[in-house]
Amino acid sequence: MVEQVKADFLEANLSAARSGERTVADIGLLLEGTYPYIRGGVSSWVHQIISGLPDIRFAVVFIGGESGMYGPAQYQFPPNVTHVETHYLLQGQTNSKPGARRGNARAFEKMEALHAYLRREGEMPGEQLERAFTGLGSPEGISEEDFLYSKASWEYITHQYRRRCTEPSFINYFWAVRAMHAPLFVLARIARELPPVRAIHSISTGYAGFLGAIIQLRRKIPFILTEHGIYTKERKIDLAQATWIRDHNDDVCNTLHDEMGYIRGLWIRFYEQIGRMAYAHASPIVSLYEGNRLRQISDGAEAEKTLVIPNGISVQRYCVALEKRVNEIPPVLGLIGRVVPIKDIKTFIRTLRILANERPDVQGWIVGPEDEDPSYVNECKELVASLGLQNSVKFLGFQNVLEILPQLGLLVLTSISEALPLVILEGFASGVPCLATDVGSCRELIEGRGEEDRGLGAAGSVVFIADPEGTAKAARQLLDNPERWRAAQRAGLERVKRYYDDKLMFSSYRNLYQQALDRDSEGFAELSGAT
Amino acid sequence: MAGIGFEIRKILERDSYWSVLRAYGYAGVVSGGPWALSILSIMMIGILAVMLGVAQREVNAFQICVTYLMAASLIWSGGMQLMFTRFVADRAYAGEQAEVLPNLFGALIITMGGGFALFAPPIFWLFDGPFFQQLLLLTNFVVLSGLWIALIFLSGMKAYRRIVWTLAKGYTIGIIVALAASAWALNGLLLGVLAGHGYLLFSFLHHIVREYPGNSLLKLDFLDRKRSFYSLFAVGTLYYLAVWVDKFIFWFVPHTSEPVIGPLRASIIYDLPIFLAYLFILPGMAVFLVSMEADFAEQHERFYKAIREGDTLMHIEYRRDRMVYAARQGIYEIFKVQGITVALCLLWGRDLLHAIGISPLYIHLFYIDVVAVSVQVLLMAILNVLFYLDARREVLLITACFFITNLLFTFATLQLGAETFGYGFAASVSLSAFLGLFILSRKFNRLEYETFMLQG
Repeated sequence: MVEQVKADFLEANLSAARSGERTVADIGLLLEGTYPYIRGGVSSWVHQIISGLPDIRFAVVFIGGESGMYGPAQYQFPPNVTHVETHYLLQGQTNSKPGARRGNARAFEKMEALHAYLRREGEMPGEQLERAFTGLGSPEGISEEDFLYSKASWEYITHQYRRRCTEPSFINYFWAVRAMHAPLFVLARIARELPPVRAIHSISTGYAGFLGAIIQLRRKIPFILTEHGIYTKERKIDLAQATWIRDHNDDVCNTLHDEMGYIRGLWIRFYEQIGRMAYAHASPIVSLYEGNRLRQISDGAEAEKTLVIPNGISVQRYCVALEKRVNEIPPVLGLIGRVVPIKDIKTFIRTLRILANERPDVQGWIVGPEDEDPSYVNECKELVASLGLQNSVKFLGFQNVLEILPQLGLLVLTSISEALPLVILEGFASGVPCLATDVGSCRELIEGRGEEDRGLGAAGSVVFIADPEGTAKAARQLLDNPERWRAAQRAGLERVKRYYDDKLMFSSYRNLYQQALDRDSEGFAELSGAT
Repeated sequence: MAGIGFEIRKILERDSYWSVLRAYGYAGVVSGGPWALSILSIMMIGILAVMLGVAQREVNAFQICVTYLMAASLIWSGGMQLMFTRFVADRAYAGEQAEVLPNLFGALIITMGGGFALFAPPIFWLFDGPFFQQLLLLTNFVVLSGLWIALIFLSGMKAYRRIVWTLAKGYTIGIIVALAASAWALNGLLLGVLAGHGYLLFSFLHHIVREYPGNSLLKLDFLDRKRSFYSLFAVGTLYYLAVWVDKFIFWFVPHTSEPVIGPLRASIIYDLPIFLAYLFILPGMAVFLVSMEADFAEQHERFYKAIREGDTLMHIEYRRDRMVYAARQGIYEIFKVQGITVALCLLWGRDLLHAIGISPLYIHLFYIDVVAVSVQVLLMAILNVLFYLDARREVLLITACFFITNLLFTFATLQLGAETFGYGFAASVSLSAFLGLFILSRKFNRLEYETFMLQG
């Protein structure tokens, strides 16, 4: 059997590396719930990367929930997308009717050891255990039918329930375990059936990252991981609020005992563990900014493997906006973003109330779509009315930023959460300094990252979350002081040109890919030398 | 059938010997009522007709005709009875009550129309009696087939009191009409039975139509493969075939039978003891109703409730154990009460046969038949538990075993000689009951595994 596995690896690598024709693509992109079906920041980024590196061939592997959740593809594939696959995790692959079977008890024993490793933080399982894990979905390991129907699987689940579950409902535990593991068999099949590629690149941890880990283990090809947000953290927030998990808290003892339910905790640990698995097998692990890099390290990524590649924009494109600027500083604060609670539009409105007292000429524009959360939009508009700001605050809806940016004196982001907001870079490139809360990479963008970057000076100010007074004060300091404003404008322009040009991002990824493809060829050489 | 259990429990709660006796008596009437009433009234018609001057030969012919009609209509409708009961239960569970009535009419039309089409040619071909007689036989068959469907449907509605009362009235009408028409001999008696069964069918339907809402007249959804279980059809048919196959063999093997009317033959040596023996399963049937439909059904409901409502695995297992205990207790109770019945029959059987004027030559066959039908009650109880657990494949296996072994063993006894008559049926039903017990035990041991892992 070991021979067989080895032969599999060899076969995969030989076919992958021997000639370009045998592989369907150079890089297999693993995309969970984004490109090409869902529009958004990550999807535009993926499209940008593919279009920006036309000489690299990409395979797009999309992983979704259920086919009904997605419409038609939202992007036109560039010609260098040479292979496309779409998979749905919630649609199991077996159409087989349930039938009693004994199941491979030894495979379940190995799984017990693997689970024990996963439960302990830190050290990753050795080769023996990895095989248990790559054997998922194959006859030697645990097949999907075995997992779903076998007596061995039943014994395993009930054993674990007796030993660990602290919540009373067995049926909830049982279905949580099923729901949690069923997608893994789909992933195992994708890993088995994906045509040869030379390296893989996952754009998140979670299921896509886990798939990357399985492919890396099975085929020994390089696995690059990029995270825009921090998947595991986002999942934790979702899960903490999920109403589909019922915590078994008595109404009576709620106040004394409001710990998280066992099953909610189980889900969270599940995502932590598959995230750790992705970190263990990926190299390099890329994040957008320093804060996320540290977060990845604390979540289990090895520091040496992590690196930051920020998003970039086409600086040239915004020259037009820069040229359109008038000489004076327009007394206009602009918030560009969707009108939703996470952007904390209300703090922006309150800031304008304070400013209006001191400088009645200052205007506040809210630029962005209003269809996502109509009740919040209403609240914001009522707040404007009740503060008597009808003349100074305007809701402009969705607009072309190239038209809006030249009319702004300051770009403002009052968000309570951000990753790397491209709008700040767009503002810089158009010559608009920025006021932003200290979330995500905003401080890095405004004040600089590293010695040299910081030397360029501040391109605006960083303010506290939900602090209208502080924000108003910072705005006054810039608007009332043209010297300072112009210094900030210069710093922003220089910073975006030097560090956030998309050409830099493209060349960083081109390098990453090139290294990965070289490593792949070396791996091939080693393997063929060994035979 | 939780309704009946509840009623019985109410009586039992009064906690006296008299109340226990009443509870079991009531259960006995409800469970054994239909067949006891039909056997008794056919016998009654026979006795009274002879007293009114109808020739004994005609009365014998009448009783044989009715026996064949019963056997044929039960076998013909047995599959539909089970399949349709399940369909009704599923519709009720899905909250589609309005689907039931039109489908009941569909089931009746298929069973009765199909029965007419299938049985008309052989009856007109093989019976040389007058056309009126042929027509009476055919209508009797068609009405009986429909009646079984209506009866099992009404049992599903738990209208036990009503069933028993209607049956009493129907058979009274049957007896009166038969005696009034006894001048026409066989035809008159058959007309009486037809009147009785006809009254039953229509008054059952009257009750059903009044109680059930319906949105259209006729539907055939119960034939839909996705919503029905053809395996249940096979089970119903096989079960009645198994019950009757040894009788048919004895009727048609020349040296154990004689011709009675047209193609119909009877086996005097075999028939009398077995039909007599069937009267002695009444105690077992009463216990069956009380222990299965009251105790077991309740534990079964609690087990699945524990699963659905999110109890701990340990509690689910506890409920499983309680349910197994109830099933075991029920089977044991039936075993006990039928054991006593068998013992009493062994003790007084000779006197009994003597008292009703049957030759003591039949005594050994009667003994073994009492044992066999007692085991048959056990087998029914086991099958019933398996139905509750939705073990359709297992039930099919057991009924197939029952049918095949009864067929083989009965032929074997014909080879072995007259002193082994009856042992074939007894061995077959015992073997099937053992197989049933074995399967049931295995099923119980794997119950949670199968419930959780193998559904859908």
